[in-house]
Amino acid sequence: MNYGKRIFLWIMLFWIGSAQVFAEPFVQGGPIGSQTSDGYDALGPVVEQPIEFPHNTHAGRMQINCMYCHTYARRSNVSGIPRLDKCMGCHNLIEGVKDRPRIKKLFEYWENKQPIPWKKVHDLPDFVRFNHERHIQRFYFQEKRPIRETCGYCHGDVASMTTARRVKALSMGWCVSCHQKDHLEKVGSTVTSHGPNDCWLCHK
Amino acid sequence: MSLSNLIQNWNSFRTRRPYEGQYDEAPYKWAMVIDLDSCIGCNACTVACYAENNLPVVGKERFGKGQAMHWIRIERYWGADEAKATEFPERGAEYLPMLCQQCEAAPCEPVCPVGATHHSPDGLNTQVYNRCVGSRYCSANCPYKVRYFNWWNYPDQAWPNPLELQLNPDVTVRSKGVMEKCTFCVQRLRAGMDKAKTEGRILADGEVLTACAQACPTSAITFGNWADKKSKVARMWKNQQVNLAKNSQEKSEEGIRGYRILEDLNTYPSIVYLERLRNLEA
Repeated sequence: MNYGKRIFLWIMLFWIGSAQVFAEPFVQGGPIGSQTSDGYDALGPVVEQPIEFPHNTHAGRMQINCMYCHTYARRSNVSGIPRLDKCMGCHNLIEGVKDRPRIKKLFEYWENKQPIPWKKVHDLPDFVRFNHERHIQRFYFQEKRPIRETCGYCHGDVASMTTARRVKALSMGWCVSCHQKDHLEKVGSTVTSHGPNDCWLCHK
Repeated sequence: MSLSNLIQNWNSFRTRRPYEGQYDEAPYKWAMVIDLDSCIGCNACTVACYAENNLPVVGKERFGKGQAMHWIRIERYWGADEAKATEFPERGAEYLPMLCQQCEAAPCEPVCPVGATHHSPDGLNTQVYNRCVGSRYCSANCPYKVRYFNWWNYPDQAWPNPLELQLNPDVTVRSKGVMEKCTFCVQRLRAGMDKAKTEGRILADGEVLTACAQACPTSAITFGNWADKKSKVARMWKNQQVNLAKNSQEKSEEGIRGYRILEDLNTYPSIVYLERLRNLEA
């Protein structure tokens, strides 16, 4: 093999390799096969939180409703990260776990009067208007679906995770794929309707 | 707009807008009435719009080049012979707030090569910044000249730190190369509509106002849900004998003031202006 040909091959290899990296719209992570080809089930990056919050204990084992802590989901655009006093409201009274490292860290923040700098996991672009309230009102209160299912459409099964990780694409095509489906209007009713289809209901 | 939606609702997309009874079933159709006899030309509406919709202040030089970004502007006209005849010729200025007329048959919509502007079910002429490629056909085709193009990257220059903290988080800060226009404060409308829907009702009259209507000191601007026949704006349209689906309005008597600007271009605007009609020839 002559010199020029080898160089050419290396360049081709590099080019193909880099093209594949750039073609991937979502950051890869997790086991092979966790991403579908259309990118709708796209595993997001691991976000390291200041405290490794165990969602699996709270929402999974203890069966605490998501909205006990993310309390604004049913009445606001954003679901909200709970304040530190929300954590302390319970953990002040739970003597059994006070010696654990994560709880110690929590008390440290509390005694220093510092908020916990949680990092955002599900971050939509600034030009998108997403309303938690409407989705929760429709599917949890009106249609009486279980909360784990309702939140799980977009957030995945958080109750089996420790710190939350994005598992859905949160892309426009993915939103629309659900908005096109017919959903029952109420529990027990046969009337269906689909989500709004107008640009200006989500784009602002 | 998805393909299945396009096929399924082909007829309604092909129907020429507007037509009689178009909004009979619809919960919302946003419309406005501007009383020019009340307008004192104070520009409060313009200021309110700048604050609400993250409009950049472009500066004197660019303003001179016609690159100002005022979604609502006050046009000043000198009232022809009427004022000059008096002993105060400097008086007699007349003001006309000009904003996007949210035309039912908007000339800007069909010319967009990428479908960035379209009509929403509640009668708004929308502009989707993400789709816009900046061809500026829409602006060229707008008879009211109320579409504004971002010639410069204003996010970098219009709000030096800490001014960016004044930006409205509910409105996108537009970047260079996209067209923008009055939205009838769609962020307020959507927030109100969501709240009303959760409570299982439609928005009450006056519950949601645009920034300009809210700021107007003389209440010259009336904004509301035209589809609600009891709303103030719908009653004013009716009293002024303005028909949304007609391009010329027949009045039963002389004193009725309502008219729509450049109606004969078949744009069917959603804004009615009230102005005493005078015959200056006589």
